[in-house]
Amino acid sequence: MKKKQLRWLLPLVAVPILWLLYWGMGRDTYVLPSPMAGLPAPDFELVTFDGDTLHMADLQGKVVILNFWASWCIPCRTEHPVLVQTERTWDDSEVVLLGVVYQDSRANAERFLAEFGGDWTHVLDPSQRTAIDYGVYGVPESFFIGTDGTISLKKVGPVTWDLVRYQVDSLLAAPVATAGAASTGGAP
Amino acid sequence: MSRFRAGVLALLLTCAIGPSSATAQESEPSAETTATQEAEAPTEEADDRSALTDPEEEALDALAAEVASGLRCPVCRNQSVVESNAELSREMQAVVRDRLAAGETPEEVEAYFVSRYGEWILLQPQARGINLLVYGLPALALIVGFFIARKLLHKWTGAADGAVPADGSPDLAAEDEQWLREALRES
Repeated sequence: MKKKQLRWLLPLVAVPILWLLYWGMGRDTYVLPSPMAGLPAPDFELVTFDGDTLHMADLQGKVVILNFWASWCIPCRTEHPVLVQTERTWDDSEVVLLGVVYQDSRANAERFLAEFGGDWTHVLDPSQRTAIDYGVYGVPESFFIGTDGTISLKKVGPVTWDLVRYQVDSLLAAPVATAGAASTGGAP
Repeated sequence: MSRFRAGVLALLLTCAIGPSSATAQESEPSAETTATQEAEAPTEEADDRSALTDPEEEALDALAAEVASGLRCPVCRNQSVVESNAELSREMQAVVRDRLAAGETPEEVEAYFVSRYGEWILLQPQARGINLLVYGLPALALIVGFFIARKLLHKWTGAADGAVPADGSPDLAAEDEQWLREALRES
C-alpha cells in the first residue's frame, strides 16, 4: 500500500477520536441525566410527621417543590436556608414545599429541623419507593412541579435562591410546565 | 519498513487481546462485591429455607436477579444493582421482583427504570440509534483490519518470494544496487 494512499487514513481515524476525547473530557460528569422533566409527577402515598396520609394528587392546582433530603446530608444543610426563605416568600395556597425524608429516621429529621428551622410539611419514605419512582440518585434533589402536576425541572444538588425564584415565578405565571422543562445539576 | 510491519502486528495483537482483557476487567468483582458475596454465603439455615421454597418463587428470584444485574446502581461506580450492597440498590431489587411478580415482563421492568433514570440506568446500552456504533464499530474494525492484514501479508510474502530470483541474485533497491556497484568497483 503506497504512502500516498494511506494519507487520508490518518485524519479519518484521528479526527473522530480527537472529537470524542474533546466531547468526553468537556462533559460535566456530575450532571446526571433525567427523563422526568416534562412528565406528570408520579403519585405517592406518604405519611407526614403528623400522621396524615398525603398523595401527590392532593397537591394538584398548586406549584409544588418536592425536596428529597436527609439530616446526615451536608449539602442539605447548605440549601436549608434557601428552603426557609422559600417557605416565607410564598403562601401555602400557591406554593407547597414538601420535604421527603430519604434514608433517615423521623427523630433525626425532627432534630435537624429543630436546629435549623423550617415549618413546612415533611413526609417519610421508609421503603424509598417514592425516591425510586422519581429517579432519585441521592440527596438533596428537588423537583419543581407545575399546577397541572407536570415536572418542570429536576435539580440535583442544593437549590439556590435564584433558581427557586425563577422556577416558582415561571410556574405561577404559566401554569402549564413551560418554565424550561429540563434537568440539571448546575446553576440556573 | 520493518518498524512499520512490527507496528501493524502490534496493533493487530492489541485489537485481538483488547476486548477479552476489557471483559475480564468488567466482570471482575470489586472488593465490595466480594465482601457482599462472602457476607451472603449460604449457611445451613439458608439451605433449609431454600429447600422449602416454592419452585415458582425460586424462578421469580432468579429472573429478578437477572433483570437487576442489568441495572446500574445509582450510587455506585459501574456496579449492578445485584452486586451493590447499597440500600437504594437493595430496594431497587425489591421493586424489580415486585413488578415481575405483578406480571410485568423483564422488558417492561427495564422500561420502568429507564423512564425514571434514563437509559443511563442500563449497564448494557440498547442496540438502537447512536448506540449501534458501540455494537457495529468493533465488527467493522475487525473486518477492515482483516483486509489490511491480508493485503500487507500478501505484499510481504510476495516481496519475500520475489526477493531472490531464479538466478540467485537478490532483488536490490536502486540505491543499494548503486552502492554495491560502487563498492565492487572500488574493490
